[in-house]
Amino acid sequence: MGEPILRVEDLTTRFFTEEGQINAVEGVSFDVEPGEVFGIVGESGSGKSVTALSLVDLVESPGRITNGSVWFREPALAARIREDDPDTAAADGEMVDLRRLDDNERRALRGTEFAMIFQDPMSSFNPSITVGTQIAEAVEVQRRATANPRAVRSRTQGFGLLKFLTTSMVPTVDYVSEESRDRAVELLDTVGIPDPASRATEYPHQFSGGMLQRAMIAQALATEPSVLVADEPTTALDVTIQAQILNTLGDLQAEYGMTTVLITHNLGVIARMCDRVGVMYAGEFVERGSLEDLFERPSHPYTEGLLGSSPALDNGDRRLQPIAGNVPSLLDEEMPDRCYFADRCPKAMSECLDKPPEFDADGSEGHRARCYLARDAYDPGDALPEGYFDES
Amino acid sequence: MQYGRFLLRRVFHSLFVIWGAATVVFLLRFITPGDPVTALAPPDAGDEVRAALERRLGLDDPIHVQYFEYITDLMVGDFGNSMEVLDRSVLDWIFWTRFLRSLELAISATILAIVIAIPLGVVSARRRHTPADYSATLFSLGGISTPNFWLGLMLILLIAVPVGFIPTGTPGPLLHEAVGDLFAGDPGTLGDWLRFMFLPALTLGTYFTALITRLTRSGMLEEIGKAYVKACRAKGLPETLTMYRHVLRNTLIPIVTILGLQLGTLIGGAIITETVFEWNGLGQLLIERINARDWTMIQGIVIIIAIGFVTINTVVDLLYAYLDPRVMEE
Amino acid sequence: MISDRVKSSLKREFYQSRAAQVGVVLIAIILFTAVFAPMLTPHDPTTQRVGTGNGSALTDLPPLSPIPGHEFVGTRDQTMVNQTTGEFVNVQQEVPANASHPLGTNERGQDILSRIIYGARVSMLVGLLGTALATLLGVPYGLVAGYFGGRLDDTLMRAADVMLAFPSLVLAIALIGVFRDTSFHTAELPDPFVAAAQGDLVPNILIPRAEHVASMPETTTFPVTVTLVVALVNWVWFARITRGEALSIRAEEYVTAARSLGASDVTILRQHILPNAITPIIVLATIQVAFIILLEASLSFLGFSGTNLTWGADIQQGRDGLSSGKWWVSTMPGLAIIAAVVGVNLLGDWLRDALDPGIQGESGGI
Repeated sequence: MGEPILRVEDLTTRFFTEEGQINAVEGVSFDVEPGEVFGIVGESGSGKSVTALSLVDLVESPGRITNGSVWFREPALAARIREDDPDTAAADGEMVDLRRLDDNERRALRGTEFAMIFQDPMSSFNPSITVGTQIAEAVEVQRRATANPRAVRSRTQGFGLLKFLTTSMVPTVDYVSEESRDRAVELLDTVGIPDPASRATEYPHQFSGGMLQRAMIAQALATEPSVLVADEPTTALDVTIQAQILNTLGDLQAEYGMTTVLITHNLGVIARMCDRVGVMYAGEFVERGSLEDLFERPSHPYTEGLLGSSPALDNGDRRLQPIAGNVPSLLDEEMPDRCYFADRCPKAMSECLDKPPEFDADGSEGHRARCYLARDAYDPGDALPEGYFDES
Repeated sequence: MQYGRFLLRRVFHSLFVIWGAATVVFLLRFITPGDPVTALAPPDAGDEVRAALERRLGLDDPIHVQYFEYITDLMVGDFGNSMEVLDRSVLDWIFWTRFLRSLELAISATILAIVIAIPLGVVSARRRHTPADYSATLFSLGGISTPNFWLGLMLILLIAVPVGFIPTGTPGPLLHEAVGDLFAGDPGTLGDWLRFMFLPALTLGTYFTALITRLTRSGMLEEIGKAYVKACRAKGLPETLTMYRHVLRNTLIPIVTILGLQLGTLIGGAIITETVFEWNGLGQLLIERINARDWTMIQGIVIIIAIGFVTINTVVDLLYAYLDPRVMEE
Repeated sequence: MISDRVKSSLKREFYQSRAAQVGVVLIAIILFTAVFAPMLTPHDPTTQRVGTGNGSALTDLPPLSPIPGHEFVGTRDQTMVNQTTGEFVNVQQEVPANASHPLGTNERGQDILSRIIYGARVSMLVGLLGTALATLLGVPYGLVAGYFGGRLDDTLMRAADVMLAFPSLVLAIALIGVFRDTSFHTAELPDPFVAAAQGDLVPNILIPRAEHVASMPETTTFPVTVTLVVALVNWVWFARITRGEALSIRAEEYVTAARSLGASDVTILRQHILPNAITPIIVLATIQVAFIILLEASLSFLGFSGTNLTWGADIQQGRDGLSSGKWWVSTMPGLAIIAAVVGVNLLGDWLRDALDPGIQGESGGI
């Protein structure tokens, strides 16, 4: 195992709504190696999308990252920060903590080192600007940043109300250069869009869902990112298109050597794409490890439940076993002080009324599970009586 | 090609609407109680004088003949003569001084409104729940709730009276005169123009400023919540660029349409504002002619206003379709 | 038509929104004032006191000022303690007059507060009746156009577009020009409170300030033409919004289901289309009340309303005095208009936020 490119420590993201505090992501930690695909899997409402947004610092009000660090390996930036302030807490070896960087530095990394693919391509493109221009914008951001890496502000300069008015009236005065437009067409070609030059001049509503998702991948590639965060990239698409998009994504990932964090609720996608996986439940990682660890030696009953409720994983004609009960509320005041899964767990024991820490589990080095069963064998004598959680 | 067809359809539609409007105006005269001949003829006029007057006004023909003549006359730009000042042509009376005065007022108010309202709406949306946002919200609520004739009077009371310059009574210069003088080396006329224009434009523009602020704010808030904004941020696009190039642009597209329709309010407001400031434009002329029961003049003014209004709305629609091509695919 | 969910949504929004509460209070005050005007006015709003006949002229009194020559209403006996001797002494003390014209008077000596209170009647009546009339014209029109669609829809909506070619005030002025010479330009509505106070039907003890009420004007002038005209000018908006709703609702599956069960067009329109289209109509109606109040004020400011006991006409009346320092005559009725329109607008915002989940968008979810 080499040095990780991304090290997430104790990441905590909360939403402060009128209904109360929502603990969307609670103390999540994981490492991602360079060039690997790290999968995050969980039911809807488990906090996996918020985890993705937290990585690229796109959590919006009323949400806020309240704790934790996101370390990213960027030797040049680390050295520069240390030059400015030798005692800085924002740099550690070759790593920088994204959360401790100032806003401009952080924004500079977004779109150059980090890129993101969203779930619904149709709403993730501006409907009134051509697809080519939107991809070219991403290229332009990258171009301006590499042309002058230190002066972050040069990328923003001179685009206010006045510029808006002039560009609306004189379309030739534009943020996006011709070179960037050409590059956008190349990118559309790369992701397998036929006749890219003319598609570039079309608007999002003229694209099909699958084509638009390809365009979004092109937009993500535009910045030549080190880390690609893909949030449910195939969920909104037809099943046949899903496979094509995954192939494209897989090929490009291998070609560019992009480290990828892939968020999905689909274990099939995980099995196909990922090297290592984290399983999320109620805002926490309940289990993480290599793909093999999770599929062959799941230690957490929730992981077992997920595998049991997914169709067509090798053993074709077995009966599906749905997980009983509902996704828990993430509202702070409703969250119990116990294992969050205990009320749905077929193997809940009296021990589970104390919140379990993460334990090392059998299998590869990084295999960990937030369950007492990773430490002890299941003891049916200690099981909680049936209907124990029903009254409360 | 597609745009050309859309353009043709829109233009045809607006011609239809103008024809409909002209018909409505024609019919208005026929439901008017009271006979214009009685109103115009001297009290001691004999039957012969009355008949001559009737003939002169074209009132002795059956209604469909009158209508046909009326429409064909309109098509060649013949609006007839005033019914009170019989030898004065309707169009001569309207164009150009009266018309230009009203146009200048309306355009100045619109420009003032746009220049103030859009930045105000943007700031309000981006700094939500701050004192700046609350003040802007309060201002826009007050602005859309204040009758502009009262606002005009208050501005006279609070600004014009203390300053000692009340921009009423004597009409100021027209803009082309002011600009002409400016090039001839006399900037004083332009100063006069500004002095006369300021309070009326402010009065007329306040409602619009408030309305656009409100629309910009709520439109921006709705737009900021959309997924593509997150995507813009994710690709590292600077915040100002995201706001102006994407969010504001998309916010303004629907606002332009609403404003096109609201232009009717602006024209109505102009009539009131002209009355308050004794501004010698179309609005005041309309009121004056209504009180004189001068029906050909009333018809002429109303049709000219309707043509202007419909034309602007058509242009706005075409612009809308140009900015957001989805509109054309209904 | 109004479900429990809608009610609870309205309630929740009301408790959360200070603006909605202010709106409701403002409208409640103005409606109360309009209805009980004779009991609330300090003076008869129409009495002119310009001459010197019966007492002094009361023209152009500024707000809060007592009447000239009547700075004191009289004297009263007061027992006081003489500080040095400790004796009780009776002294006569002059009693200052209350401001009997709290908002002053106009150039005819009429009490401005009383006129504002009576003006609320015209404003509210025209606002509510005009909107109701516009709704009655526009909603069936739009329902028919949207539900039946096709060529009928085309024809009806083209005709409606013609109405939109006129700016509303221009059309209103032109229509008033047509109608104002008719006999129904205005109507005198008898005031039930005054009639009751003057007659014997109701014991006077049941009417607050019965003697005062009996001396108030027996009728209120109601501008019929203006009400008709504002409805004629504004019905198109109702037609357009209803048509749009009907057009989308008729494609819903439950309408198809009802039709396949043999429901008649009238039944479908009444039971399915209208109830589901009602929310935007209600929100539009609220906005229209505000708009019509402003329109009525403008028309009466221009002198087209046929009655001068309205806010707009009072503002017009105070115009000449502005440059000679008599600021209150125009200012006060204007504030009343603003209060009414702000109230209705806040009410409209409340309804819109509570009824239309599409526009809420204030709270961002996860």
